Amino acid sequence: MNEILESLQRCVERGKVNIKSPYPPDMKGQDGTDELARKALEAGIAPQDILSKALIVGMQKVGVRFRNKEIFVPDVLMAAKAMAAAMEHLKPFFKSDELKHKGTIVIGTVLGDLHDIGKKLVSMVIEGSGWEVVDLGTDVSPDKFLKAVDEHPGCVVGLSALLTTTMVNMEATVQHIKSKHPAVKVIIGGAPVTEEFAAKIGADYYSPDPQGAVEFLNTRCTPN
Amino acid sequence: MPEFPTPETFSFSPSFQELAIDRTIVERDLGYRKGPPPEIVRQLIDEILPEVPLRLAIQCGFRILPPDLFSLTESGIECGDVHISTGPIIASQLKKSTTAALFVSTAGPLLEQWSHQLMAEADMMKGYLVDAIGSEVADRASEWLEKRIAERVTPRGWTITNRYCPGYCDWPVTDQQKLFSFFPPDFCGISLTPSSLMIPIKSLSGIIGLGPNVKRGAFQCSICELKDCFRRVDESELAAEQR
Repeated sequence: MNEILESLQRCVERGKVNIKSPYPPDMKGQDGTDELARKALEAGIAPQDILSKALIVGMQKVGVRFRNKEIFVPDVLMAAKAMAAAMEHLKPFFKSDELKHKGTIVIGTVLGDLHDIGKKLVSMVIEGSGWEVVDLGTDVSPDKFLKAVDEHPGCVVGLSALLTTTMVNMEATVQHIKSKHPAVKVIIGGAPVTEEFAAKIGADYYSPDPQGAVEFLNTRCTPN
Repeated sequence: MPEFPTPETFSFSPSFQELAIDRTIVERDLGYRKGPPPEIVRQLIDEILPEVPLRLAIQCGFRILPPDLFSLTESGIECGDVHISTGPIIASQLKKSTTAALFVSTAGPLLEQWSHQLMAEADMMKGYLVDAIGSEVADRASEWLEKRIAERVTPRGWTITNRYCPGYCDWPVTDQQKLFSFFPPDFCGISLTPSSLMIPIKSLSGIIGLGPNVKRGAFQCSICELKDCFRRVDESELAAEQR
């Protein structure tokens, strides 16, 4: 693989944002994702290759290591920050349609629940895998989810809940969405949620970790 | 021996120093049990910790249920005409309790506001660390309170069980409404939303069994069914830590 792409992938994995960043210490003074993404474009590497051969691969490795409990949330946040720095250089190509997301996921914490961090973490890993994320925030009503699905045809929906009292609102949300859009796939997650619960409420998938959600999206969801 | 002044509630405002939260504890909470976190995480924790006491309003309190109105059932406890359905897992841990203490603790609202502000400013890492410290404060305040409860019952020759909280081990979070009915409104500055979410979010509530023949369990995660809980610790990991 191209040397720049290899370095870019490694920088995502290690959370190296730019040359000024002192982290990680063993990469001090070296280019980060910011510089390398720019250099890759200047070298004529296709934006799609930068995204799919370096950034997504790097983030995927991070997701797998997180699932295996080899790294923890702060490590994922650093990787996501490095990924975001590179994505800034790719934004214009998304706007010009030269680059396309794999699809769109509308994500939110369900009605009555204000917990945000787990959902944000999942969003970052999904975004790092090449999907567009529309984050509706917390305490999201079934109507608001439905409106977002109307506005993003072909999207997937991700529901989060941290409480046993609010996970029941997932069922109402799934039914509300599927009554109008039966083909829309819904993924659910959160501490009290289980695979059995997902099956019971008619959700399409439950993932205990962000990488599981990414794998479901990449293998079982039709892109836009 | 005088009876407990059971109708009363007791509340406290321990200082951050009394909770003895340091960087090592925060690192462990973040998951770094087998090795240190990246240096930048350590630096940020060191940066945040001195500011934490300025943004805390720690409150905690308890009430010991009247023993003559208290009884155990297979699925929970009863006090007067109120049945709290802790579920069979917690009920079995409370067995042999003569009565129970209901408790609450909170870090107050300011820490979570700070966390939200940091995240809104796109500083996800610092916001996350502040949030994690907030969770630890609420937990440690409960632990601090547990010691006060133990001190209260020790003169009677009683001991206490572990703490158990709604939302764990099949104890429905909705039962928090019943639990809070034993406290005055806004006790310790905590209120409940219709979905039984405590506000401030960095708050805990729960139950501790009391009596002459109750036992503390050594390893709590083993009774919990939340296999994917991010705070879950393997028994072997815990044993290695304690060696």
